[in-house]
Amino acid sequence: MIRPSLRSTLGCYTIILPGTVLLLTFVYLPVVWAFSKSLYEFEVGGQARFVGLANYKEYLTLDPTCWPSAANMLLLTMFAVCVRLTLPLIVAKLIHSLPRERWRHFYRVMFLAPIVVPGVAVQLIWQGMIYADHGLLNSLLRGLDLAHLTHGWLSDPHTALAAVMMVGFPFVGGFEVLIYYAGLSAIPDSVNEAASLEGCTGVSKFFRIDIPLILSQLKLILLLTVIGGMQGFEGLFILTRGGPGFKTTVPGLWMYFNAFSFQRMGYACAIGVLLFLAILTMTLLNFRYFKSAEKIKGES
Amino acid sequence: MPRWKLLAIHATLITITSMTLLPLAFMVNNIFRSNHEFYRSFFSIPDAFKGLVGVTGALAGGDKGPVEVDDQEGRTQRVPPAEAAGMYLQQIKRGPTMAWAVLRPYLINSLVVSVLTALGVCAMGSSAAYILSRYRFMGSRVALMMFLATMMFPGVLTLVPSFLLVKRLGLLNTYWAMILPYMAGGQVFAIFIFYSFFKGLPEDLFESARLDGAGHFRLYWNIVLPLSKPVFSVVIIMNILGTWNNFLWPFITNTDGSHHVISSGLFALATSAHAQNFSTMFAAYAISSVPLLILFVYATRPFIRGMTSGAFKA
Repeated sequence: MIRPSLRSTLGCYTIILPGTVLLLTFVYLPVVWAFSKSLYEFEVGGQARFVGLANYKEYLTLDPTCWPSAANMLLLTMFAVCVRLTLPLIVAKLIHSLPRERWRHFYRVMFLAPIVVPGVAVQLIWQGMIYADHGLLNSLLRGLDLAHLTHGWLSDPHTALAAVMMVGFPFVGGFEVLIYYAGLSAIPDSVNEAASLEGCTGVSKFFRIDIPLILSQLKLILLLTVIGGMQGFEGLFILTRGGPGFKTTVPGLWMYFNAFSFQRMGYACAIGVLLFLAILTMTLLNFRYFKSAEKIKGES
Repeated sequence: MPRWKLLAIHATLITITSMTLLPLAFMVNNIFRSNHEFYRSFFSIPDAFKGLVGVTGALAGGDKGPVEVDDQEGRTQRVPPAEAAGMYLQQIKRGPTMAWAVLRPYLINSLVVSVLTALGVCAMGSSAAYILSRYRFMGSRVALMMFLATMMFPGVLTLVPSFLLVKRLGLLNTYWAMILPYMAGGQVFAIFIFYSFFKGLPEDLFESARLDGAGHFRLYWNIVLPLSKPVFSVVIIMNILGTWNNFLWPFITNTDGSHHVISSGLFALATSAHAQNFSTMFAAYAISSVPLLILFVYATRPFIRGMTSGAFKA
């Protein structure tokens, strides 16, 4: 870090100026607007009417979707956390335990390959190919002489939420595998040798050595999954549009409908602010109670 | 490691990989099958492929007798082998041709938006990170904090107000409605990655160049850029992936549908009359994956290296 001369300082300001202007305009201004506009009731282009906290009050007390959609969001997020903290980790461990680098590379590439398909296409493929009347699931059931079990998985209120959860089976995302793999590779050889000298191998090594040493990676995935699960609704928008009824509605989706279908911009902003506060709370809790490996090492 | 254990690991990994890739395999296979075939059975080798092989065999054997071919509507016709071959080829080409006609403008829009965004993010992100990591001046720490603090704000908070902003600026149905917000948001992650990398570069490198009278631009161009190619590849790939997959924002800001990108265009396609034709849809999914597939083939190695470098933890 050096302290530049005056002329060079002016250069510094000039260089960071464009990014700063964009940031203030397209990130900070919308953040401020989110809070301020949530106090108004208005349509796009219409007259705004100041209503104070009425939007918040209406959402939390009168809106029929409020609590069911929060429950859906929690269920979906918890399920995502459970599968993303375990399955990709097991796969990464299996890949990492292979002795030949060629195979390790091959499997990493294979698991990463599906990211070339756009997310929208993935959702549409699942909707049209796995869950549709002539899709994989129902064809399979007919083939197994279980025709009475076939039904519209996404349109039946009893199975819709579960069907939405199962999208992406077997839940081994290339990113997660790579990140866990990076953590496993970073474990020093000395630790691995010491473990094997002490007779700590296999499953017991996995739980006692590997997991504590890749806590930073687990924490990153946990954080990203929780944030993504609480705010994400594109998949649901494509698959079910929140139906049948409100069975697969989440608060983010309801915000979208309020803004762009019912033209209630202020109300939508209020839902956005509430979601932000919930996500912020979860993030802070995560940082507070889930210490990373570096911290634990630093304390001991 | 004992041999049976190695085999068990390979078997497990192969099974999981196949399950992950299965929907994509079905997708590719179904490009060449008509709706009737799809309704008859979920999976089989496309009739057109089987037919072509049969016809070629018949022609090679000098057999000129008429062949039975199912046409578009599933009616069986008896035609000479040469004509049958033409019908089969037609059937194979039909899905991709129709999908391509619809997707071509979307693909161009996607390319324009993602390339311009990636360029802007790299230029702004790396230069700002260079300044903020190597110099200390009034406001430098505040500026860094201001950039990184935006990671706190989830997209769901700013979605609606951003739309109101873009509308007020008169940018709806333009490329700028996508490029400017993408650059504003994307540079933050870029600065985060570049900052920690530039911070680790030794000061001596810069010192001697500075004594020679090199300015900001020369330092950045001659010293920083050549050293940080792997970091650039991670930032570029993550950025392009993000832009390519973003569906909601282009969907909202293209009120008249004139600037649809691949993602929003696919959704528009799925809600149009074309969706009645499965082969068109499957071809559309496949075509929309091709550009990233090309990127993937060229960039996997540096990307895996970058991702494995240990920057990704919390």
